[in-house]
Amino acid sequence: MFGKWFSSFVSPRELRAAGVMGMNARNFKVISKLNNRKLYPLVDDKVQTKILANQHGINTPGLIGVIEHQHQVKDILNIVKDYKEFVIKPAHGSGGRGVLVVKSYSENCFTTASGKTLTYKELYQYISNILSGLYSLGGQYDVAVIEELVHFSNIFQNYSFQGIPDVRVIVYKGYPAMSMMRLATKASGGRANLHQGAVGVGLDIHTGHTLHAVMNNLPIEKHPDTGVNLLSLKVPLWREHLEIASKAYEMTGLGYLGADIVLDKERGPMMLELNARPGLAIQIANLVGLSRRLKEIDKHYPKGLGPIERVDYVLGQLD
Amino acid sequence: MLKKLLSVRTILTILLFFAVIFAAWSAYYKVTVWGFSLKPKQVSNIWTIEAHIAFEATGEPIKVQLSVPTDNREFKIFSEDVVSEGYKVKYLQGTPKKLQLTSGAKEGLQNIYYRVLMFDNIDTKGRIRSQAPQTPEIPVLDDQRMAVAKEILEAAGKQTGDWPEKVIKTFRQTPPDPTVVSFLPMKKTPKTVAEAVRTILALKGVPTRLAYGIRLKENKTALSPDLMLEAYTSGKWKIYNLKNGKQGLPSDFVIFQRGGDSLLDVEGGEDSSVKFSVLKSVSSSYKLAGKRAELADQKSWFDYSIYSLPLSEQNTLKWLSIFPLAILMVVVLRNVVGLSTMGTFTPMLISISLVQTGLWAGLACFALMLTIGMLIRAWLSRLNLLLVPRISAVVIFVILIMQILTVVGYQLDLKVALSAVFFPIIIMAWIIERASIIWEEDGASAAIKQIIYSLIVAVLTYFVINNESIRHILYAFNEINLVILLLVMLLGTYTGYRLTELRRFVPLVKEKK
Repeated sequence: MFGKWFSSFVSPRELRAAGVMGMNARNFKVISKLNNRKLYPLVDDKVQTKILANQHGINTPGLIGVIEHQHQVKDILNIVKDYKEFVIKPAHGSGGRGVLVVKSYSENCFTTASGKTLTYKELYQYISNILSGLYSLGGQYDVAVIEELVHFSNIFQNYSFQGIPDVRVIVYKGYPAMSMMRLATKASGGRANLHQGAVGVGLDIHTGHTLHAVMNNLPIEKHPDTGVNLLSLKVPLWREHLEIASKAYEMTGLGYLGADIVLDKERGPMMLELNARPGLAIQIANLVGLSRRLKEIDKHYPKGLGPIERVDYVLGQLD
Repeated sequence: MLKKLLSVRTILTILLFFAVIFAAWSAYYKVTVWGFSLKPKQVSNIWTIEAHIAFEATGEPIKVQLSVPTDNREFKIFSEDVVSEGYKVKYLQGTPKKLQLTSGAKEGLQNIYYRVLMFDNIDTKGRIRSQAPQTPEIPVLDDQRMAVAKEILEAAGKQTGDWPEKVIKTFRQTPPDPTVVSFLPMKKTPKTVAEAVRTILALKGVPTRLAYGIRLKENKTALSPDLMLEAYTSGKWKIYNLKNGKQGLPSDFVIFQRGGDSLLDVEGGEDSSVKFSVLKSVSSSYKLAGKRAELADQKSWFDYSIYSLPLSEQNTLKWLSIFPLAILMVVVLRNVVGLSTMGTFTPMLISISLVQTGLWAGLACFALMLTIGMLIRAWLSRLNLLLVPRISAVVIFVILIMQILTVVGYQLDLKVALSAVFFPIIIMAWIIERASIIWEEDGASAAIKQIIYSLIVAVLTYFVINNESIRHILYAFNEINLVILLLVMLLGTYTGYRLTELRRFVPLVKEKK
């Protein structure tokens, strides 16, 4: 019994040989060296990220409005009056927490993406909760961001059970280093966290084609709920995806970041949010150690290139 | 990058090295000089010696003098007191130290008790010096006695040992040497023998004196004082057993009086006697440490240590000094093992509560409070309250739960329920809040997993901080906390894999093959 239990572990040496990055190494060797703490607010606050992205010519879902104070909550109908649909999210939320997608609405009835309806009073309460810090870490006061709804490309239909299929690109010193797509499942409760049972699809950073798909640390081929073949997934406009990720380096100054990018039917890839502390699950989805990748970039990739040149360089490389 | 990393680590390692040396030296100092012990509840022996003076007052003003012990090589005085009704008590410093009791005229049997508490003097052996005495005058003896004395000296020369030893051995031969017998007075008492030995040694020019003392034997009563001979040879006072000439103070011997004077002088009384009783008791090392340090002339050091504080403050600090180790545990379990817990130090705070409540009662009570709290929280979440009022309501509910549990526990005599008050209110409220949010957002299994991990860390920490030996060492040798501090900082540069990652990243090794 113990033998079996032990065999579910690997030795540190094997992990090192595979170039796997551990949490401690990430925090100490990468994040604390490359990411200046004072830059964090740029990515932790979605309003700031959005404004900055627009300055750098990066496509993001349009900002409809911001609700900062409790007394502004009653203006919500006025704010969205020009839009048929909108998204409300906390500026300091993470991992998709507190995101409310309103597909259609009338004065007292708001229909969400999952088909639930909210009354005006419930919506009011929802925004108040965001402001009081329900979804921000540590519970500090927050701001509600209202932005345009992304119309997901039909290509991704059936790839995700609820939720938003987004592409996560790890950017190291400006170079897109690794990427994956996270797909929610029934088991993950519509959330895109791998440790909760979401599917991680490793994408070839040079092509945007599927490398592997993993769920609960095991390789899979088909989405467990929709049955769609995951290995045939090819992300279109891959170059544009990478350009957004690459530009995020100049935009924020963070040497190690994760860019979450969604593909809109009409407007193409858009930056949804950035993360200064991207997780390590992407290694499992790619079945490639991140340390190894970062070491390659440190050693061989040229320094001092612009964002577009960096993407050219990455696309010119073969794995 | 690597260079920078190495330098931070190197500096910390060097500091750690120094901290270890400092802690080791300090521990050594505390053990040897202050008498701290490495084991908890270690006690030092305290001897209570009681001298019972009894005499019949003759109706004249009374003056009683009793030679009393001073700090010496083997024992130190912890405290002394006198029980004597109607007497004025005064200590006459000097050699020997004397206790003087005076009073007006009295009649009848007088009982005076002098009590001294002494403890083993392990720290200052050999520190107490005495001045070199003058060479004794050649005793005045008539020709005949002088001839006998010289004969004894000659006989003694054949014995082994140094001169005092030789002479005592000569006197203590069996069967008795006829020369010796002729030299001694008719009435042979330990005192007359001792005086004869002194006379012979005076001829040899060896300064001597007599010492009265008692042997410490547990729970002995009515002991008569023993007589020993002290001789000044090769620059030191040495003590000799008058029965066999053995040099050196028996380890259990306390000297009350030195020199020729009698142990007890009573004016205004007759039929005086002094009897001793000895009682061994024990006292904690800490209690004695201050006294020891004071006597070892290291007081200034000791004044600025924790151990000179009043006991209540010491208890608080003793409690605090286990925290660094608990923190180290948390750091190791989070950064090396990789257990994700609810809040960084929450498990540590739970474990501290567990120490007060006891493990099982505490865990049961914690589970009970968490369950009730989360049920209430589930109901609160339906009300859609704002965050701060909601968490505040949870805090108040926790207080109410504690009150109810304590009252019910008291009435039903349930220890489990009674331990509720030991859990920190705010921490409990946050655990309930966090667990509820995780439950709502990530599902019951995620919440339960986090609670269980937190409890595992709490219980592991509990076992470490509840260990009496560990607590004792961390308090008595509190500079270990410096070592712990540097270990924690050094762990801040640990970039290796966490234990849980060896499992998490299995596919990266196995699927590749």
